Amino acid sequence: MLASCATVQPAPKVNTYVVLLPEEGGAPSAVIVGEGASALTLDRPYNAATVDTGGEIERKNPTAAEANQTFAAALAAQPPKPISFTLYFETNSTQITQDSRPQLEALMAEAARRQAVEVQVTGHTDRVGSDADNDRLSQQRAEAVRTMLVQNAIRATFIRAVGRGEREPLVPTADEQPEARNRRVEVILR
Amino acid sequence: MQSCYRALPLLVGFIIATATMTFADIGQIKNVSGEVFLLRQTVQLPAKAGDIVQQSDVLITGANGAVGLTFIDNSRLSAGPNSRIELKQFRFNPTTQDGEFVTDVQRGTLAVVSGQIAKRSPDAMKVKTPTTILGVRGTTFAVKVEE
Repeated sequence: MLASCATVQPAPKVNTYVVLLPEEGGAPSAVIVGEGASALTLDRPYNAATVDTGGEIERKNPTAAEANQTFAAALAAQPPKPISFTLYFETNSTQITQDSRPQLEALMAEAARRQAVEVQVTGHTDRVGSDADNDRLSQQRAEAVRTMLVQNAIRATFIRAVGRGEREPLVPTADEQPEARNRRVEVILR
Repeated sequence: MQSCYRALPLLVGFIIATATMTFADIGQIKNVSGEVFLLRQTVQLPAKAGDIVQQSDVLITGANGAVGLTFIDNSRLSAGPNSRIELKQFRFNPTTQDGEFVTDVQRGTLAVVSGQIAKRSPDAMKVKTPTTILGVRGTTFAVKVEE
């Protein structure tokens, strides 16, 4: 009687397949598959696991080529990593230094290359002058870079220029000390 | 300053774009190929590069579709064909870098590069599938879900 009533359980089948990929610069990284006692840690490039519909976790060891093939379309659609540029300025000026020209060109080229780029521009000063003057100067430096992006026809979806005055020096100094490395604008492309 | 004033009309467009970014915006679609849809609540529209995404949005790709997104914590997600990915929970404080990011892969393929949220706290970023949950420890990985 009991046997005739028993329903046939479908055999578990693979539902989820996960592969840890190499980290840029070889930094340590890991993915924990599942929770609790049965959890499995993937912590080497191309460590992989499957999880079936019964919740069973099984370790796998694909080659790099196999993993890259399985995820080829998703990996090809990966957006570029957000990148930052630093441009330096002449004393008490919104003029970019001659030495920073190549960085400016690299920034423009990268901004033009990216699709739907978001741009964050942050201006800074050294500690010469009053806080109020430096707030104004840092904002003007940021605006000058924004204007150059606009004039270069960068099609940003979002662009924000802010001045941080002398609050965030790259190199800490005493007040009123000139420091070329603090007269700068940082630009993040995302 | 002279050049700033001359550029003013050009800047107006960007100021409008800036104003449309709101608190709810968590990231942006950076590239689309083939058939890709963005489902927000009950409205499903074709997705395009530059579209802003919000928490609870669902990305759906067709048989030849692929899509890449960058989030405000610098996380990056990209999906291959026949995928359905829900941006289930997203919270990020840019100042403290505290946050939470839960993505639900219902089907298809997803490649993940984690950002500030996972860097700041090891349990803050998770990827769910119908059969398991993946804890992200600051990392690059890919997941495939078969129906």
